[in-house]
Amino acid sequence: MFVILVYDVNQKRVGKVLKKCRQYLTWVQNSVLEGEISDANYTKLKMELARIIDREEDSVITYNLRTTKYSTREIMGVERGQTGNMI
Amino acid sequence: MKKTLYFFSSGELLRKDNTLCFEGENGRRYVPVEDVSDIMVFSEVNINKKLLEFLSQKEIILHYFNYYGYYMGTFYPREHLNSGYVILKQAEHYLDEHKRLDIARRFVDGAAQNIGKVLKYYHSRGKNVAEELVGIETLQQSIGASTAISELMAFEGNIREKYYKSFDAILGNEDFCFEERTRRPPKNNLNTLISFGNSLMYTLCLSEIYKTHLDPRIGYLHATNFRRFSLNLDVAEIFKPIMIDRIIFTLIGRKMLGKKDFEHGTEGIMMKEKAKKIFIQELDSKLNATIKHRDIGRPVSYRRLIRLELYKLEKHVMGESLYEPFVAQW
Repeated sequence: MFVILVYDVNQKRVGKVLKKCRQYLTWVQNSVLEGEISDANYTKLKMELARIIDREEDSVITYNLRTTKYSTREIMGVERGQTGNMI
Repeated sequence: MKKTLYFFSSGELLRKDNTLCFEGENGRRYVPVEDVSDIMVFSEVNINKKLLEFLSQKEIILHYFNYYGYYMGTFYPREHLNSGYVILKQAEHYLDEHKRLDIARRFVDGAAQNIGKVLKYYHSRGKNVAEELVGIETLQQSIGASTAISELMAFEGNIREKYYKSFDAILGNEDFCFEERTRRPPKNNLNTLISFGNSLMYTLCLSEIYKTHLDPRIGYLHATNFRRFSLNLDVAEIFKPIMIDRIIFTLIGRKMLGKKDFEHGTEGIMMKEKAKKIFIQELDSKLNATIKHRDIGRPVSYRRLIRLELYKLEKHVMGESLYEPFVAQW
């Protein structure tokens, strides 16, 4: 599935969250990552994030799309992070 | 499913924050390591031991191609899926001439059937390939009667020769005449495309073999000798017609590639970078395309089909079920 992940995390933990997310998804903008991910890896990522964040203070939101066939992606201004597997 | 990474930018590939990081002239870019299946490098990319250790841990195989697009070598990490039993059985099926010939025959027959599928497809679209089709079907009858590997390879060579003769009729493009199969180096544009596509298929098969218990050094049709890898050449025979050749026909037919995409130099003809990217984009989307698998009953990607082919081979050498090569159903 395709996932868009957005986080708002306390400064004390934001680096850890970013580093963990970058192992599974592609960074596209400050506090935003996206990419294809398998169910197993998605569950794993959630478990790892659950250990890092403080549920009383931090927030992580994921939008889960079964397919990207029926959506488009538009960018205005600067494209900060590139996606795709051709580098 | 995990992706293949293709590098066309020059720079440095690093391990950072437990993931992959590429530093090039366009800046730094992180790549999610959990989503990477293998890496193909076409440009100047610097690496170090820390990275290789990391790739080995993550079970990521790294292939190198030179400036001209020729395959140069592979960083084949430490085996994680080890099975002495399977390797022993593989060797047994190689050393026993009868068993080896049986597997080799199946590879050649599978390749011939897929070649037939490709030709029938274009025949139904009005291309004049009937003569080659009949010739190949005739030769295919002789595969079962082969009593030696060299005899089998002769039939395989004859089938390929007739098949390549049909390329001019399928393409109908003066800039892409076949003439004759040449390699090291290819002598015309079409041969360059075929060589490039084939080496990509060999490396893809190698990547999938790494994810199984099979040893890539023990092949059956292609002799096990002092070459690095043989089994991937065998398995690639099945998929070359239905993937690489179809892509070549598509790209030329749709005018996505033309004469201007090739450079002529003292070392022969080579594809320009833009052409390589176009080819790989087409191949990558083909790998991700799915077909309804008759035995499994659900959609299966072409990349997964390669893996399934290897699983079938494993079962064959272990004596569980006979290997039946994949044949495209269009």
